[in-house]
Amino acid sequence: MARDRFMGVGLGLRRPHLEAVAARPDHGVPFWETCPENVIGDGGRPHREACAILDRDPVLTHGLAISVGGFDPWDEDYLRDLGRFLVRTGTPWHSEHLCFTSVDGSFLHELLPIPFTREAVRHTVARARDLQARLPVPLLLENITYYAELGAAEMDEAAFITEVLEGADVGWLLDVNNVYVNALNFGFDPKAWLARMPMERVAQLHIAGHKRFGTLTVDTHGADVIDPVIELMQWTLARLGHPVPVLLERDNHIPDLEVLLAERSRLQAAYDDVLAVPVRGGGHG
Amino acid sequence: MAEARTLALQRTLAALVLDPEGGTFEDDPPRFARSHGLPEVDAQSFQRFSEGLAAYRELARLSLVDPIETMFPITKALLVREGAWEACVDTFLQARCVVSQHYRDIAPAFLGWLAETGWGQATWPFLLELAHVELLEVLVARFPEADLPPGLHPDPDPGDRLVLDPATQMVSYHHAVHQTSEEAPVPEARPTHLLAYRDAEGRPQLMDLTPAAAALLTRAQTESLAEATAALELTDPAATLSLLRDLHDRGAVAGFQAAS
Repeated sequence: MARDRFMGVGLGLRRPHLEAVAARPDHGVPFWETCPENVIGDGGRPHREACAILDRDPVLTHGLAISVGGFDPWDEDYLRDLGRFLVRTGTPWHSEHLCFTSVDGSFLHELLPIPFTREAVRHTVARARDLQARLPVPLLLENITYYAELGAAEMDEAAFITEVLEGADVGWLLDVNNVYVNALNFGFDPKAWLARMPMERVAQLHIAGHKRFGTLTVDTHGADVIDPVIELMQWTLARLGHPVPVLLERDNHIPDLEVLLAERSRLQAAYDDVLAVPVRGGGHG
Repeated sequence: MAEARTLALQRTLAALVLDPEGGTFEDDPPRFARSHGLPEVDAQSFQRFSEGLAAYRELARLSLVDPIETMFPITKALLVREGAWEACVDTFLQARCVVSQHYRDIAPAFLGWLAETGWGQATWPFLLELAHVELLEVLVARFPEADLPPGLHPDPDPGDRLVLDPATQMVSYHHAVHQTSEEAPVPEARPTHLLAYRDAEGRPQLMDLTPAAAALLTRAQTESLAEATAALELTDPAATLSLLRDLHDRGAVAGFQAAS
């Protein structure tokens, strides 16, 4: 089963590490996650190194820019290239963010929140179903960090995500750091929040660091993962009752590969620890 | 459209991020929302979440501006020195020229916007050339692999034409923009010809060409070396062939084939 190849804690494949990773197949990372937008249509030495790694190692794919909740028509050429790329990598699924990223053809390159309304649910469900129909592998949607509700909400975030995942019948890439950051910014209990969610749809976890700016905590992907987020990851894994791949994201203040490998090992130990005792932490709430 | 409210909300957030008026959003968030046609219930939500919405302006603009500041450090240094950088960025963002999902396309979009609008070039006639040369090596380094025509050989013959490596670019400027720095961003006004190419390691290199060499490399892509050297009245064919062999060894020239 393809999913069995993707267990443990993987790393996001980032440009500063391409040369080092390509040169050492004994890196010990069980799988990588790559952003297709950063590979498709690129060229040159870093591109060759990226492709060599993707052809050699297990890879999951995670998109940054498809505007699932937006209104712009799909870029058909890109979706065709993306489909080929997904088949080439052998990824068991492809994930995108539950957000919008472009408006009237203009890309903002930021994960922007979809209104928590019934109208937006209907629209996003239709878009996600249409996108899924155009991809050769199952689609996962990831919960984002958001800093404001866009317009007057008719439901809360948990209900919005649940309705979209269920309505579109897609899997969930659960970012536990995003849950933690949203809990800080909006003042809720992340475990109580997760207890309401359709956990049977979780296929993968994301984990990352964040930073506080004034009264707002921002999902920077630029710092080490803090212990409470690791504990939330463990709690989630225990609640799931089975292993799913966890991906450590680091996009800013990217350290040397050795430092990131050590961070991954720390998370892997936490992952192994909780899964070695399946009953522990499996309670509700 | 059935989802008019959702689209209106998204357009309003885009305006908050990209338009100059978004900078004054926090003065009166509901008014900003109303000015974009949102109903009162959404306008009040903009008041309630004004801090978070303002954060989106900062975060999204950072996402768009960071690659520009990274790719165009000398252009930025010039315009910062002249007190014009913020205006430049504001005008670019308001123009909504970033139409690609690829993050790497943001910097080329900025260059394209400079070329299309001529922004700032009445004051700084070298501005477009300066920005272009800053991006040139990056574009060469990342140029997608391409197939070469079959039958290329490494040694030039007078009856051959040359084929540049697909990543190689020849450019001509009116200013020596490649010799600027963040400390000295104003270039000397003199005709400049550059050859940008990838070396054997795949790293970008820049070569300053004489006018004669630039003319030769241009003509010899479409006519034989013999015809090109004759037309340019180059009197030392051995030196010409030596130059071309050197460019082939460096990776700038993919090879040679008989001119038809």
